[in-house]
Amino acid sequence: LQTSLKPSSPAGHLSVLVDSRCIASGPEVISALRLRQGVVAHVCSLDGCDFIVSNRMAVEWQTQSDIGSTHNRKRLQDRMQSLQSLFERVCLILEADRTRPGETSRPFQRTRYYDNTVSCLVRAGVRLLVSRGPEDTAALLAELARVEQRKGQAIGVPLEVKGQRAQALQFYLTLPCVSFITALNMCHNFRSVAQVINSSLDSLQAGACVSRSRAEEIYRCLRYSCDSSLMSTSAPKRTVP
Amino acid sequence: MANKAVLLNTVPPYGYVVANGKWKGSALAQSLQGNVKVMFEEHLGVVDFLLSDKSCVLHVSESDMVAGSAYKRKIVRFRNANSGLHGLVVVEKTRLSEQDFPSLQKFVVFELGLTLLPVGSAAEAAQLLVQLALGVSKENPFRRSGVSGLLDPVVLALVQQIPGVGKVKAAGLLRRFSSVHQLCGAPVRELEPIVGHAAAQHVWGFFHNPFD
Repeated sequence: LQTSLKPSSPAGHLSVLVDSRCIASGPEVISALRLRQGVVAHVCSLDGCDFIVSNRMAVEWQTQSDIGSTHNRKRLQDRMQSLQSLFERVCLILEADRTRPGETSRPFQRTRYYDNTVSCLVRAGVRLLVSRGPEDTAALLAELARVEQRKGQAIGVPLEVKGQRAQALQFYLTLPCVSFITALNMCHNFRSVAQVINSSLDSLQAGACVSRSRAEEIYRCLRYSCDSSLMSTSAPKRTVP
Repeated sequence: MANKAVLLNTVPPYGYVVANGKWKGSALAQSLQGNVKVMFEEHLGVVDFLLSDKSCVLHVSESDMVAGSAYKRKIVRFRNANSGLHGLVVVEKTRLSEQDFPSLQKFVVFELGLTLLPVGSAAEAAQLLVQLALGVSKENPFRRSGVSGLLDPVVLALVQQIPGVGKVKAAGLLRRFSSVHQLCGAPVRELEPIVGHAAAQHVWGFFHNPFD
């Protein structure tokens, strides 16, 4: 068995995946990425993640007042936990709140809650970056992608999938700790779904471009023997008196 | 290096912050003292504060930033001095120092790999340090919980991703072939009795047809 590892895209052509929700919330970021930073920014549904800048790094994008708002607490916690289960590295870009034309910019009121959130994020290993606005956010994203490229983690597969590969993508995404980019790598670096399922731990790790522990988790799930009693088709059990 | 030895051995207990002696009597230290116990230590070198979660803090004030680029050398010395501890750089980002912030962020985060936390003033720095010092004991809501549930529902959901296979067929297949790996190895004739002729072809094709 051998995996058909494709060479990564030529240097200078960095790829970044953008969640489709960002079309509404940050069209300026997407256009600045494309026009000013020269990055290939592919928009698709990433489901729970704003940006993916490398094979292992996700970037969450929030405004300062979102982080400081207690209403946002549960959502932020869920997202950060899910991102940390899917990615080796998680970054959070804190963008300054925007002021509408005619509005005077009010200085951000730092609360104890905000400081507590920030300190918990730091302790959880989330990397924090501060941005003044959409242009700045795009520059930070491009810089993150460049740093990751230098470390050999750049996204190196085509960003679109069609037909059979699209079906396989959905299958891979259902596996534990498989992010969108990991699923994309699996789609392009293996010839068939069976090749993934039958591959050794080493070739799974290489083809999916993941850490050893993640490869082990995927490998274990593919070989996991289900308890057939749990597979009863939800017919209500009758208790015999 | 005597300084280093002192530095690494003084991880303060919970509720305490070890502060560099030069902060004695400062407004920052006073705001800290209202919330945590502060112990002053003369031999911290370039480090300003030590926290009980094994992190150490360098404080870059507004005047440090405005005065020139000497503070960058200080940050490098700070990075080199604290191997084994988590290095946090707290920087006063004010109207005066704001223009230098992007280049500082690039330097500290991207080049040195340290954590950079902007604050508006020394008082805000104290407030943040208190949270950093006191948050250690509490459960961290952002940390990935290590509990992974049973894999059975995951495997069932996986098999349902095969085109033409719903919940009933997926359960039927898994009763006969207990894992995805075994199911993938099954020939069409063994799939047919469970899901019928057409679906059996689909399942086999999904696994084995090479991508175009």
